[in-house]
Amino acid sequence: MNRDGRATFGRILLIVGRIVLAGIFIVAAYAKMRPQAGMPWTFGSIRISLSMFAMGVDSYEMLPPWAVSPFAHVLPPLEFVLGLWILSGIALRYSALFATLLVTGFVYAMARAYMLHLGINCGCFGPGEQVGPKTLMRDGLLIPLGLAVTIGAFLTHRKGASTSMPEATSTTPAAEKLAPL
Amino acid sequence: MNRRVCGSFREGFWGRCAKWAKAGFTLVALLILGMGIAPAAVAQATVVPAKVSTPTKTAKPAKTAAPKPRAAMAAVAPNKTYGVSTAPIKMELFTDYQCPTCGVFYEGTLRNMISDYVALGKVYVIHHDFPLPMHKYSGQAARWANAAARVGQFQAVEGALYDNQAAWSADGNIEKFISAAMSSADFARVQKLMAGCDQPGPTAVQTGGFGLAPGAKVCPLDADIEQDIVLGLKVPVTGTPTFVITAKGRHIPATSGNVSWPILKQFFDSLLAQ
Repeated sequence: MNRDGRATFGRILLIVGRIVLAGIFIVAAYAKMRPQAGMPWTFGSIRISLSMFAMGVDSYEMLPPWAVSPFAHVLPPLEFVLGLWILSGIALRYSALFATLLVTGFVYAMARAYMLHLGINCGCFGPGEQVGPKTLMRDGLLIPLGLAVTIGAFLTHRKGASTSMPEATSTTPAAEKLAPL
Repeated sequence: MNRRVCGSFREGFWGRCAKWAKAGFTLVALLILGMGIAPAAVAQATVVPAKVSTPTKTAKPAKTAAPKPRAAMAAVAPNKTYGVSTAPIKMELFTDYQCPTCGVFYEGTLRNMISDYVALGKVYVIHHDFPLPMHKYSGQAARWANAAARVGQFQAVEGALYDNQAAWSADGNIEKFISAAMSSADFARVQKLMAGCDQPGPTAVQTGGFGLAPGAKVCPLDADIEQDIVLGLKVPVTGTPTFVITAKGRHIPATSGNVSWPILKQFFDSLLAQ
């Protein structure tokens, strides 16, 4: 594979990784916000789902009581927006980095709950999923995915910046002044 | 020729492509919202609310035969309840008397709930025993609680067991706390029911079902505990405390672990407002 071929392959991998990462965040947000027990989509039913997620957050026993409810009500919409941000590709390096840090935080909380034998629900993709080796491994795999997308985004950005540099300097007023008539 | 075209985002979000980027972002957001919410709304609107008891896992008794599960959970333990059965919210609680988290949950959440929402007729609590195998005296504590339930003293005994959890968990002397929780006449009746039940009680086993310690004798009270374990395995209960909430006929997925009263109250309020 030549240099251009490798670059194209890298770009495709980055796009695929980006879509997968974005999809996971959007699905996670949807699973947390979707109405439970066959309730219709209303603000009331979404509030029930978020209150239920708050119980899951509380069971991790990591946050002070006053912070549980705001955190539980902000996190799912944040995940949704983050998923859309990653999908859009705008400033991907920052969105992917943020996603990686967020996933690392989740995995840490799950590992802690597992080590303390709290026997709680994960809350990752909606209710009814126990924290255990399976969920830890699944969510743990998101860290290398996030890292790969972050590194890929930074590399692509650096490469793009270096190739556009001469062109950018040639259009500056200073460069125009120095140019021979 | 200016090659800084939109699409490469080479200039970053705040570059000259920001206007197009924002428009694209909004379009994608709207598309995904439309794709995600519309079908889900249609699907959700057609879902029939789940029944109260929807067991998914078949219990495999380890030593004794599994009793037939009853149709309604509330029928299992009529004397191990708090509140009125007509309350809009029904909470089925699976606990282990020796589990520290269950103790914290009882003292910090359940007590407040009983004096507040249960007293107001908003919540009906049904207790189910789910003694775990790693707790040496939890099966025996469940026997005492079930004996007390038969003489109408369950609530007093549950409180006594959790209040003194650390003490009896150390030496297994449960009896002295039970005797202190009720009148001598009631305690005499409870003692009569506990005759021959002085060996370790039944516990849930990791492979499913329930079992007694090797060499332990079956006690007549064990049937009540075993029914609760079978019911719990069908939830499925994998840790304690676990609670299943049914609100206005709608079955909410089970929640495990300690939840503080303000957060649980907020959840109940959102259910009651629906």
